[in-house]
Amino acid sequence: MLETLGALGTGFEVALKPLNLLWGFIGVTLGTFVGVLPGVGPALTVAMLLPLTVKLDPTGALIMFAGIYYGAMFGGSTTTILLNAPGESASIATALEGNKMAKAGRAGPALATSAIGSFVAGTIATVLLTLLAPLVVDVALRFGPAEYFALMVFAFTTISAVLGASTVRGLTSLFVGLLLGLAGIDSQTGQARFAFGVPELLDGIDVVVLAVGLFAVGEALYVGAYQSRLMETLEKISGSIWMSKEDWRRSWKPWLRGTAFGFPFGSIPAGGAEIPTFLSYATERKLAPHPEEFGKGAIEGVAGPEAANNASATGTLVPLLTLGIPTSATAAILLSAFQNYGLQPGPLLFQSQSDLVWGLIASLYIGNVILLVLNLPLIGIWVKVLAIPKPQLYAGILVFATLGAYSLHQSWVDLLTLYVFGLLGFAMRRWDVPVAPAVIGLILGPLAETQFRRALAISQGDASVFYTQPIAASVFALTAIVLIAPWLARRLRRKR
Amino acid sequence: MRRSPAEIALSLGVLALGAGAAAITSGLSSEGGYSGVGPNFFPALTSAGLVACGAWLLREALGGGWKNRSPDEAQARGEHPFHPAAFAWVSAGLAAQMALIGSAGFIVSGAALFVCVARGFASRRPVRDLAIGVALALAVFLFFVRFLNVNLPAGWLAPLLGSAGI
Repeated sequence: MLETLGALGTGFEVALKPLNLLWGFIGVTLGTFVGVLPGVGPALTVAMLLPLTVKLDPTGALIMFAGIYYGAMFGGSTTTILLNAPGESASIATALEGNKMAKAGRAGPALATSAIGSFVAGTIATVLLTLLAPLVVDVALRFGPAEYFALMVFAFTTISAVLGASTVRGLTSLFVGLLLGLAGIDSQTGQARFAFGVPELLDGIDVVVLAVGLFAVGEALYVGAYQSRLMETLEKISGSIWMSKEDWRRSWKPWLRGTAFGFPFGSIPAGGAEIPTFLSYATERKLAPHPEEFGKGAIEGVAGPEAANNASATGTLVPLLTLGIPTSATAAILLSAFQNYGLQPGPLLFQSQSDLVWGLIASLYIGNVILLVLNLPLIGIWVKVLAIPKPQLYAGILVFATLGAYSLHQSWVDLLTLYVFGLLGFAMRRWDVPVAPAVIGLILGPLAETQFRRALAISQGDASVFYTQPIAASVFALTAIVLIAPWLARRLRRKR
Repeated sequence: MRRSPAEIALSLGVLALGAGAAAITSGLSSEGGYSGVGPNFFPALTSAGLVACGAWLLREALGGGWKNRSPDEAQARGEHPFHPAAFAWVSAGLAAQMALIGSAGFIVSGAALFVCVARGFASRRPVRDLAIGVALALAVFLFFVRFLNVNLPAGWLAPLLGSAGI
């Protein structure tokens, strides 16, 4: 415990260095600016801004990234409330009430409860992360390759098969991601696989190209084809942006309950913030003194889900930092940011790069504060960003999107890859195939393969390591349970 | 529920992808050293997974359609019907950029991309879009080249940028 506080203290020393503080500020501002753009969710924001950090030292870059991440989350909420355009599934719950509030002339309080709720949830979740991370690290230090492989399979299963509308479409997305992850040079033997003699493919497929292709190019193709001729109404902020006493009274409990839903769902590999935001929404609706207001702009329905969303985003950093396992598309891109610096998040990073890890965690506290003091007063600017007309907006997004891909190898081949992923993203959006499993599969697949082969190399090819080691065996058993339980429940219900 | 040709085609596509991956996998080495598992093991697993998913998707597509999907009618999704020109303009913009970036440079190709995409999104003022596109691409170019030291091609505009001291 004391040890943790000491490490966190060192972390604050790192994060409060003027230059790092500046990177934090820039990160939050840029993250909000890009996150506010309609159609740009946190994952795409982080992916598009990744090239900006190439020349920074790792600590500064990761601190900037923490800021971008938080800024993008807040920016996304603003868009959701004012434009009724949820950039991602986790914002749908917010859109239900937030946009109704805005339509009723209460955009200010809706944005305020979302911002302050995010601050409260983010801060509490960061405290929990601070306390929890060292404990997980202690356990994880005892993990061998077999345990890691089991955990990764568990993450694959929950992310693709358990959540979402369809098990088989989630799995398809995952396997496409895994296949893409195979391209390049096999790390164990040096043999080229699935590269077709194309030099750009020998490096493997960059997760940023996939994410930007799916999210930016795919989105532009989709919105262009199906939504570009629709009219949209941007709600204005009239009246005070501050919350009344009544608003505060109605908001604080949903914030705390939302945090309680969000953090656990984020920190176990349960794939994103969709479930906790909806649980929070349903709970608030049940507990509200005036449930009839729900559907017409109830502030509880904004406060709870927003807190849950933010707490879950912070929660995903637990498996990412302590185990190196990303459980959301955004976390997958953050992992690739680490990898760009040759860093592999996990228990060892807490020992070898303690300053960096704790500096990053400390900057989460700071990022939350920056977000609060920066964004509510500047809301007028963000609203102007929102008013950019669609043609110029998507044109601008694509100029940035292609820049990131091109700067990888200075080659048009990466632009072609980007377009192919864009077509894939279009098809996945049109026919309801989730994209997050593909992004996570791409980056986690090669790590899983390495652990698998390492485990077998240690055991001299004896596959029993995966079921005789108690931890690995229990994780596999758990995986089987989460895979079979929903199916079994459905079967039983049908029989009755 | 009506059978959807698109679903059947996509299911067959996933099957074909798995089969193709399996064909490539068969050419990979199985030499595994100590682990006994070679570089072909995960590709084989992945191909098998894709084939299985493709078969499952095809079964759903042939028997009543994919489950829990958003409606096929654009109106039911709150959208307008597929607009081929928009799709084509966005694609054309990206193709133009691929073709131009090496020779004409980032600014020209970026501006071309900008104009095409804006056109696809029903903008009726190409000249103004061109001006915005050039300004945006130039700003991005200067920021990345001067401030971040990221190398981007200047292309046709190199002499111009050079004489302006950039």
